[in-house]
Amino acid sequence: MALLEIEQLSVSFDTDEGSFAAVSDLSLTLNEGEVLGIVGESGSGKSVTMLAMMGLLPFNARVEASRFHFAGQDMQTLSDRARRRLTGNDIAMIFQEPSTSLNPSFTIGFQLLEAIRAHEGGSRRQRRERAIELLDQVGIPAPAKRLNDYPHQLSGGMNQRVMIAMAIACNPRLLIADEPTTALDVTIQAQILDLLMRLQEERGMAMILITHDMGVVAGAARRVAVMYAGQLMETGVSHDVFREPAHPYTGALLNALPERHPGTARLPTIPGVVPGINDRPQGCLFHPRCTHARPDCRASRPALVTMHAETGLGIRHVRCYHPLNEEDLEIMS
Amino acid sequence: MSRPDLLDESLSVAPLMEARDLVQTYQVRQGFLRRAELHAVRGVSFTLHAGETLAVVGESGCGKSTLARMLTLVETPSSGELSIGGHDAAHPDRQTLAALRRDVQMVFQNPYGSLNPRKRIGTILEEPLVINTNTSADERRRMACDMLARVGLRPEHYDRYPHMFSGGQRQRIAVARALMLRPRVLVLDEPVSALDVSVQAQVLNLLNDLQEEFGLAYLFISHDLSVVRHVADNVMVMYLGRPVEVGSREALFETPRHPYTQALLSATPSVNPDERRTRIALSGELPSPLSPPSGCAFHRRCPHARPECADSRPALREVEGARVACHFAEEIMEKRLTSAA
Repeated sequence: MALLEIEQLSVSFDTDEGSFAAVSDLSLTLNEGEVLGIVGESGSGKSVTMLAMMGLLPFNARVEASRFHFAGQDMQTLSDRARRRLTGNDIAMIFQEPSTSLNPSFTIGFQLLEAIRAHEGGSRRQRRERAIELLDQVGIPAPAKRLNDYPHQLSGGMNQRVMIAMAIACNPRLLIADEPTTALDVTIQAQILDLLMRLQEERGMAMILITHDMGVVAGAARRVAVMYAGQLMETGVSHDVFREPAHPYTGALLNALPERHPGTARLPTIPGVVPGINDRPQGCLFHPRCTHARPDCRASRPALVTMHAETGLGIRHVRCYHPLNEEDLEIMS
Repeated sequence: MSRPDLLDESLSVAPLMEARDLVQTYQVRQGFLRRAELHAVRGVSFTLHAGETLAVVGESGCGKSTLARMLTLVETPSSGELSIGGHDAAHPDRQTLAALRRDVQMVFQNPYGSLNPRKRIGTILEEPLVINTNTSADERRRMACDMLARVGLRPEHYDRYPHMFSGGQRQRIAVARALMLRPRVLVLDEPVSALDVSVQAQVLNLLNDLQEEFGLAYLFISHDLSVVRHVADNVMVMYLGRPVEVGSREALFETPRHPYTQALLSATPSVNPDERRTRIALSGELPSPLSPPSGCAFHRRCPHARPECADSRPALREVEGARVACHFAEEIMEKRLTSAA
């Protein structure tokens, strides 16, 4: 059974100017121990989706779904109390900016012990030992000494390790990492990614890796989901998706990467910008920027269609009337 | 625009910007009465010609931004020589300084922070002209509208405020502002790292077009090696204030000589599924520039380090067409080739 099942999730915000759908018609499943990468540009709704899962959205957000199950429990009918116990215990999350996620006025030991006390309990001494063990697991040298340090005394990479220690403190079954390496230097980024992958494998936890860096996903996640303007545009095995994108948006995004064009002065670009709150187009959300758009793309919004890629291994979901490499894909009913 | 042109000499031969052994040292306080010297940049030398791009690569704390501040004449180097268009820029007199400052302009990383939210785009673009020239208001407005068109914006944007623009458009405005005084050198400090992929490509294309149109020299600071590979003619890799490898783009990306460059290259994520490199994992973090390690600053993280590395600091020397600061560069290069084969 899948660990996480989301069907037709939509998140909308009630604002003074009316309701704004940040995420619409999003369906995802994630198995135990699986790593899923979610890529998308800013404003694509990838973070909002995860915050909805954690129940961390502000009060003006409305979350609706036809199915929203985690480990067999219906998240929509769960009481607030039960839900709080679940998040933190079974679902944990780390954020982009480690230096702002940690409270600057408390030592990292205090903050880590707080998480352990809330979810695990145990005597004072046991908790302290557990904290040291956790810091050791995430590769912090001299962990016992570090417990008394404040976040500003540690580097960005070390702070992110503390965040990871806090997240794995309760042995979560699902770890959500929202841009965990974006604020870090290249070599530190590699270290943190390696650490996350190691912990994920050792503990067999499922992981959702949210990032705008497709290179990070290609290296870490087996499956990838591409989001645009609040919708899932394409999902599939990341190796296949990056080799042969089916959605024109995925294709254009990959094509805009400098690494794909060694020796050329100009890069292919995607014209225009991601639609904002009030200028979501009719029909396919991507059609004004799409070079493959045809009249039917303007008329109605395509649904997510399951396709089978002949060349690849897995099932592909694509939200497009005219996918790239159409001849290689076979629509499954 | 009437201005005393300092750069009318035959520019095609002489480098536009030349730095020799630039050093920047700061006095920092460490508690009560204790002072220490922080060597932010040491021994940086390069030449930059018109139409060329020199990329400076390194992690935080390597001295990139200090270097940018020296090159834009915001700070005076502690020692070393800097010349811009043949004029001494390290110890200029007031007049030369004022003129030289127009020749070097800067674009910052975060277009959300670098544009004043209370000023209209037109005012932002005209400010350099107001300060540095005595052009009339009509003339300034015409120049600002021209520049808006050049960077792919529309003249009606003149009266708008920064918050009405997306990140990519704001970076275009920041580039436009930097070009208002028709500089010869543009120092770009991580100009695209705050932007989304599709927008990043647009801004990189714009920079490429402007460089061709105006014959600009770029000093391009970035930590993203795939971007650097795209834009740079020459690359300087810095570690803890010192250049560790300097060479042409081809030399650096095809056959990186310094172990740090190799590690940086291998740590850069790629979407190409067929290009699964073995990642050279660097242990540890960047040491503090207040107490740099003895000998080679990189030796504590270097997978090839030997006892000698802790004792003596390798000087920058020529190894097969690029300059590298490593005692064992030849050996390491060879090892890399044999392991790849």
